[in-house]
Amino acid sequence: MSLSLAWIEWRRLMRTPLAWGTLALCVCLLSWQFLGTLESFSGMQTAHRELGLSHHLSLQLYGLAAVLILLITPILTARLFSETFRNGSYALLSSAPLSNLSILSGKFLAVVGYLSLLVLIPLLLCLTLFSGTDLDLGLLLAATLGLLLLSTTFTGIGLYFSALSENPGIAAAASYGTLMLLSLLDQHTEASSFIHWLAWPSHYLDLQLGLVRLSDIAYFLLLALFFLGLALHRLDRRRRG
Amino acid sequence: MLNLLTTNQLSRSFHQDQIVQPLDLQLSRGDILGLLGPNGAGKSTIMRMICGDLAPSSGEVEICGFDLLQQPQQAKRNIGYLPERPPLHPDQTVDEFLADCAYLHGLKKAQIDAARSAAKRDCGLEQSGRRLIRKLSKGYQQRVGLAQAIIHDPQLLVLDEPSDGLDPAQIRQLRELIKELATDKAVILSSHILSEIQATCNRVVILQQGKSVYNGDITPAEQTSYRLGLEQNPLESEIAALPAIATAEQLHTDYFMITLEPGYRPSECLEQLLGRGWQVCELSPASRSLEQLFLQATTGGLQ
Repeated sequence: MSLSLAWIEWRRLMRTPLAWGTLALCVCLLSWQFLGTLESFSGMQTAHRELGLSHHLSLQLYGLAAVLILLITPILTARLFSETFRNGSYALLSSAPLSNLSILSGKFLAVVGYLSLLVLIPLLLCLTLFSGTDLDLGLLLAATLGLLLLSTTFTGIGLYFSALSENPGIAAAASYGTLMLLSLLDQHTEASSFIHWLAWPSHYLDLQLGLVRLSDIAYFLLLALFFLGLALHRLDRRRRG
Repeated sequence: MLNLLTTNQLSRSFHQDQIVQPLDLQLSRGDILGLLGPNGAGKSTIMRMICGDLAPSSGEVEICGFDLLQQPQQAKRNIGYLPERPPLHPDQTVDEFLADCAYLHGLKKAQIDAARSAAKRDCGLEQSGRRLIRKLSKGYQQRVGLAQAIIHDPQLLVLDEPSDGLDPAQIRQLRELIKELATDKAVILSSHILSEIQATCNRVVILQQGKSVYNGDITPAEQTSYRLGLEQNPLESEIAALPAIATAEQLHTDYFMITLEPGYRPSECLEQLLGRGWQVCELSPASRSLEQLFLQATTGGLQ
């Protein structure tokens, strides 16, 4: 039933101008960044090229994509629970033959499904160069995996705050606050500390550089599961009143 | 006959307040139960608990033999729920929304078109399929809410204030629809309008501060009030002096409302009236109106 709900939610999302407008905007911004990266790389003298084109693309293009996903996810997730609590349409789900886990995972999969389209944009842009240059596909796939993991984590965080509030604005603001905090935790903290470990940029950077480490994958998945667990607890509490 | 709904000591508390006191209900096919009570009596809370939207503090709910807490998915397949505020997605068209609702309730793709057409026909939405829900009037939105509750052909329909926002003609259509649906289902509905309950339901639960103060037929089986017509015009006290009669109240010249002493039957009363030499032209049961029942129940006169 989670998949049925995911399909319904995904279709509902794809019928909104917000989804298509965001996709179009992302294509424009990422294409602009892609062309800018190519231009600056081709303008460099060979002696100054410390990194290859693949690395330049994975750092700059995928860096911007991560920022875009950080900005978009709270807007997408905020309405998923908050708005349904507010307008009463949550009763459709709570009285349907669906468990809270199915409801949560259905909404989670719908958002991740949509964000996967965004994740594919940088990869597709890079693939256009394949006929003319020799790119490190493994590196680009690692960065794509990083972007996908980032989407799952951000979605988990966004869904938790959406389940927490009946006001989509507050849910989005709380998600932004948490994501910003997790972005800045590695500043001014010791590299070996737990707080430093909680920041996502260093884990994402490893994947951008082509280092696929289980510890980084586990970080993203654990953080996503932690917030999804909190969201599930919140939905159970809501049913218990 | 299998009960479509059984609640056993169903209750609900919020913090220290008992919003719903232990409630026992049994509904079978053909039953239309009205939940009646002043604002805050716990009608919507009971409905939310029956539909699984809110967990009870204690007690059990069984829908078509499935325990709502132990087998929620099987139980909920048999429920159609229209909350007080219709649960709609305003940015969808009626057709899209109803198809999603059918899909959510586990209908196969091949069944969805037929189910949607039937629900639209029943709710008078044939011409509105392509319209955006947010552009519909309140009455039509209410119809869409009702259509989503019946689209999967549930055994138990739970309707919270279903006539809200409908015009008198639509209310009459809704009554007919509910009665038609109840031929092979059980229906619970709440309303503030007494006449609505009286016209639609065959059973009523009257709630007062979360407590069920009356649970039974709309006209109680135990009939003690009668309308008496006499050719003569005796005093009320003369009538009340008969052993079978507890009270007598003159309605107008020759007509009285009498209540019988416990244990006396109308035939015995008639014998005594004739024994006094009065000529009786009418002795008929006086049906208590729902309003009387409601007022008696909520002011403590009926337990």
